[in-house]
Amino acid sequence: MAEKNSDFDPNIVAFLCNWCSYAGADLAGTSRIQYPPNVRVIRVMCSGRVNPLFVMNALQQGADGVLISGCHPGDCHYMQGNYYARRRFNLMRNFLEYLGVEPERVRMSWVSASEGAKWKEVIEEVTEGVRSVGPMDSFKRRQLNW
Amino acid sequence: MAVKKLSKDKVADALKELSKFRLIAPAKSDEVVVFSEITDPEEVCLDYGNSTVPPKKVVFPQTETLFRFVVGNPELEEKNVEEEGTTVIFGLRPCDARAMAIVDKLFSWDYEDPYYLKRRQLTTVVGMACVEPPSMNCFCTSVGGSPFGKEGLDLLLTDMGDYFAVQALTEKGEKLQETLSSHLEEAPADDEKKVEEMEAASKGKIKRSIDTQGIPEKLPGLWDNELWKKVSASCLGCGICTFLCPTCHCFDIQDEVESGEGRRARMWDSCMFSEYTVHASGHNPRPTRRERTRNRISHKYSYYPKRFEVIACVGCGRCINLCPVNIDILDILSQVVDA
Amino acid sequence: MVNQDKLREIAKEVISREDVRQLIGYRPGTYGFRARPAFVTSPEETDELIFTPACVNNLATYITLEERLPVPRGQEPDTRKVAVMVKGCDSRALVQQMEEKAYERDHIVVLGIPCTGVVDMDKVEARFPNVLEKGEISLEGDKFLLTVDGKKEEVPKEELLADKCKRCRYPTPLVFDQLLDEEVARFADDDYSDVTELEKRSTEEKWAYWEKKFSRCIRCYSCRNVCPMCYCEDCVLDRLQPQWMRRSVDVSENTAFHIARAYHLAGRCIQCGECQRVCPVEIPLMELNRKFYKDVEELYDYEPGTKVEAEPLLATFKVDDREDFIL
Repeated sequence: MAEKNSDFDPNIVAFLCNWCSYAGADLAGTSRIQYPPNVRVIRVMCSGRVNPLFVMNALQQGADGVLISGCHPGDCHYMQGNYYARRRFNLMRNFLEYLGVEPERVRMSWVSASEGAKWKEVIEEVTEGVRSVGPMDSFKRRQLNW
Repeated sequence: MAVKKLSKDKVADALKELSKFRLIAPAKSDEVVVFSEITDPEEVCLDYGNSTVPPKKVVFPQTETLFRFVVGNPELEEKNVEEEGTTVIFGLRPCDARAMAIVDKLFSWDYEDPYYLKRRQLTTVVGMACVEPPSMNCFCTSVGGSPFGKEGLDLLLTDMGDYFAVQALTEKGEKLQETLSSHLEEAPADDEKKVEEMEAASKGKIKRSIDTQGIPEKLPGLWDNELWKKVSASCLGCGICTFLCPTCHCFDIQDEVESGEGRRARMWDSCMFSEYTVHASGHNPRPTRRERTRNRISHKYSYYPKRFEVIACVGCGRCINLCPVNIDILDILSQVVDA
Repeated sequence: MVNQDKLREIAKEVISREDVRQLIGYRPGTYGFRARPAFVTSPEETDELIFTPACVNNLATYITLEERLPVPRGQEPDTRKVAVMVKGCDSRALVQQMEEKAYERDHIVVLGIPCTGVVDMDKVEARFPNVLEKGEISLEGDKFLLTVDGKKEEVPKEELLADKCKRCRYPTPLVFDQLLDEEVARFADDDYSDVTELEKRSTEEKWAYWEKKFSRCIRCYSCRNVCPMCYCEDCVLDRLQPQWMRRSVDVSENTAFHIARAYHLAGRCIQCGECQRVCPVEIPLMELNRKFYKDVEELYDYEPGTKVEAEPLLATFKVDDREDFIL
């Protein structure tokens, strides 16, 4: 496990809902809050828009971890999107764990537009979690086989 | 050429000798027999009926790169099949070897497929005669084959009890036999005759048959016949019959691009898939399983024989054994004969 | 066991109805102990219909598998009903299809067959290899009776019974217009021991296990095609725009295929086990689908294919759904 941690800089893809999480991440930025740079953000209108197969696809393309972040339950801009997302990702995460994909790789969070500080904590926890399990290898697409 | 003898206790050594080439032989993955690249001769399992996936995948891989490219660079990097090196397929059944000889005709016809033909050139095929028919659904004798058939083979091994009788059938086979000469001995003089007797006995054990006389000529006339609807009613439209068929050879070509580089790859396709003949406009000339079933049977038993004078079916029985809904090609053909 | 004459009589009645286009049942296979689907359109054809423990196919898949071509101008579409014979497990497919509004209840005529279990053909053929003559399997008490070529042999039911039947919760069809036999009370239950056993393994062991299986996959799509719940005309696994999984066959794409298919069955798979039965390279697909099945039951108290009026799992939510995994 030690070699996995040392020089490994995780590559994490994050799907952030436009109204809450993206705004919260933006707030962290404007507040000049320092946090690990390992997350690549993809803005979606709602966490309910995120197809669980995006997680599979991201891991397949080489992402070491995936984060989906949305509004707190009850606060979704579209009323229920995050409720649907909650069910989907609970199931997807459990299933990927069953296949041998560490649960640290698939994370979900509720971050509201005012929670810049929480965003920092979420990123730190997710990055450390992915760092501890090492690079994504199992079903990554292998360029070398070509 | 004279028959040689390979004692069963020398087989492991012979396989070790062959592992200096790229050795492909039957091995078990859980309980499934798969033709795999062998690194440890202990993995080889010669006591098997027939593999699920035929060894056609050695010379016609399920997925292969044709060339690689970098976006923006007009030069392509063509796949060099030579890099795969000399390959030996060890222990396949005569039907699977005959299937390769049948498919050779297509791949060397109006366009000589460089990838397939190069692989065939680099591959030596060592067969294992069927002392017993591997499956009760075998019908190789009905389509011009035999459980001890030599077509497509370079070497034929016959299980004589505590040794294999080894017969070289081609120049390639003789060359390979030379490589193995330290493991081979002279076989008893009457072995050649014994092998012939065993062949006759094995042929006698094949229970299923169909008289294919006249089928290639009859099929086109049955285009609108009711029988196609009936036999295809239960078809699921999966690819089991085509992927497991040693003579099926349809493929799709797709480009795969990622981060500025990519490859053009060829992969198996199935005429039973609904999107097989979908046009760019969305029109599909074979819209239902009825048309696709009719096409598959006609291709194997009419179009191919008309062009290449051989039925594109070797009677291995895999489609019968593994069709999930028990669609039986012999059942279909007997309906064709009766129609 | 179902009385074969009564079955044929009822089938004859049903297919003679003016409003029924075809009847899907079972008939003897082409060799050995096999049975295969029968598509009957006239009363005479009902004479070959059977129902025995060899009738393993899930016929509910044919309701949604049917190809509907555009109707030529001037013609009316054929709106007659389709009659289908279903066992307990198969009937759940019909329920789930109707729950998802794949078709209306009056599109089908359901002939329900209360089932005490079917055989696993692999086990039968391992026990009686090389049987080419057409044979019959019947149930006598707690034994299967196999008859071929005049010879009979009794085998304890346990030895040939399909694994899925050993944990069957719904032997009697949940939807039917007629029942072809006495109701069968539940005789088994499911403890998901196959799933929990795998869950206990370490991450490396899990991936090693699945990698071995997925590298055997030849992407024949038989699992998808036989599945009664896989009936999308434009399947995600086939799409080219966007292409979710490439057509090339390697561990990465195969894994993506199986993840996608299993996920699309979350809360929909009705446990008929056909996918695993048809797989030519023996991938334990039920172990994949049952993981979702178990999670769906434990997390959301939902069992697919049991109530036509139920709401599909992922189209609903509860405000207090579990969120202990969320930061």
